[in-house]
Amino acid sequence: MSPDLSVAIGELKLRGPVLAASGTFGYGTEVPLLERRSLGGMVSKGIFLRPREGTAPPRIAETPSGMLNAIGLQGPGVDALIRDYAPKWAGWDFPVFVNINGESADEYGELAARLDGVPGVAGLEINISCPNVEQGGLYFGNDPRAAAAVTEAVRKRTRLPVWVKLTPMVSDIGVIARAVEAAGADALCAINTFVGMSIDLNAYKPRLSFRTGGLSGPAIRPLAVHLAHQAARAVRIPVIGIGGIMQAEDALEFLIAGCAAVQVGTATFVNPRAIAEVHDGIAEFLSTKSITSLAELPRYLPRD
Amino acid sequence: MFVVAMHAPEIAVSVRAGEFVNLGWSPGPLLRRPFSVYRVNGEQIEIVLKAVGEGTSKLLAMTPGDRLSCLGPLGHGFDLKSGPRSVVLISGGLGVAPMPIAAKEAKALGMRVTWVHGARSSVELCSESEGDDVIWATDDGSKGFAGTAVAAAPDADLVLACGPNRMLSAVADRWPEALVAVETYMGCGTGVCLGCAVPLRRGGYDRACKEGPVYRAAEIDWAALPSHLSYAVSR
Repeated sequence: MSPDLSVAIGELKLRGPVLAASGTFGYGTEVPLLERRSLGGMVSKGIFLRPREGTAPPRIAETPSGMLNAIGLQGPGVDALIRDYAPKWAGWDFPVFVNINGESADEYGELAARLDGVPGVAGLEINISCPNVEQGGLYFGNDPRAAAAVTEAVRKRTRLPVWVKLTPMVSDIGVIARAVEAAGADALCAINTFVGMSIDLNAYKPRLSFRTGGLSGPAIRPLAVHLAHQAARAVRIPVIGIGGIMQAEDALEFLIAGCAAVQVGTATFVNPRAIAEVHDGIAEFLSTKSITSLAELPRYLPRD
Repeated sequence: MFVVAMHAPEIAVSVRAGEFVNLGWSPGPLLRRPFSVYRVNGEQIEIVLKAVGEGTSKLLAMTPGDRLSCLGPLGHGFDLKSGPRSVVLISGGLGVAPMPIAAKEAKALGMRVTWVHGARSSVELCSESEGDDVIWATDDGSKGFAGTAVAAAPDADLVLACGPNRMLSAVADRWPEALVAVETYMGCGTGVCLGCAVPLRRGGYDRACKEGPVYRAAEIDWAALPSHLSYAVSR
């Protein structure tokens, strides 16, 4: 018998612990060769109230075991998302979260209100950690009061589950984690990309037009495991681990380090089947260890 | 220039000129690398490459029987339709990649094909010459016309071009209606990462991997498209 991989994130039940991370899965309609049976859930590309063009190219640069991106949250705006994508999601057999972005706490609140009750939208992931926008983004993520204010603004305007995606660019992630937990978050997602820069030696300038970008991929995994673990120690709400997961063993590191679930991102760019392979690999690991359900996986989580 | 052939029967039967495959190999770079399909030979497809970085040298070190991961055919190709009676193919350096299939498709549609090959010098010229007329152009004059492929090209009903973006920009100045295959950095190749943004004259960006890589030259905001790409991974 295959082990039970279902997980509960607050009130929400997921059939598996592996979700598609925001920005790496579009709106769920683009990735080919996808085996949806293994998808625990999906987080949409980040959305603002209004359409955004995104940053000028070059937008990506590969670095050792990683990639830098500065897409700048290109997107059609929330009205188009509600009109074009949410109706499709409503028929899917896994929950879709919308990653929401704003330049002020009010904008986040407004987005929450607009998405509340829209069929197909299962929850919100507050992005207070995007390094590639001029206004908002990271600013909210590295100040506990600002992070809590955004969370509260969203919490007040929706009955949907609210997750908060944290930035690693802080001196103590536990402080931010506790602040957004107190402000009403149902779960935390840790972590978004690290801010990085890479230089083109022939052009004597950064390789990305935005100058800096968000670093993702296996290069950041040990950093991410540590930060997700620190966040999980600091709070009682579930933490969803993110950062450089390419295969099941990587996901298991996050799970054992105290995460309730994981998101897979950059790996999907490389291998459209990555999520299915991670899911199946977790099941295989549990079987090998004679563990019948993911809930029984031993965790390393001393509380702060 | 090297040619690498791989067994990919599903892609071989369906690929059109200008479409590409996204290749991953191990040990290799993290991200896949896009390559235009160069030729089809039975159940095999071929790509061309230069040994520019550590990644491609690993690809060249492969031996028959080794496996790589090949995703494709991807993108929107040259979309040739009957009508034009003559076509000029302009290729710069590795821009030869989509042209043999384009030449074949154009001939099948009854067009007279002129192929203009450009490169910095004769050693970098590709010897492929599937055209009714072939013109060689080298920057240093070591073979054929001394100057750019664009300057050497005659007019025709239809112009197709592939090469460095700088060359394509010159094509756009002379033939706004030309179909050009642009070069961008690419992440996923499947339309999700939005990394391969192509700036458009009407504003905004779209994706080289989905709506492209082939565009009508006049649609692109050439000043905003990076003119030179270096694919090596920084160390």
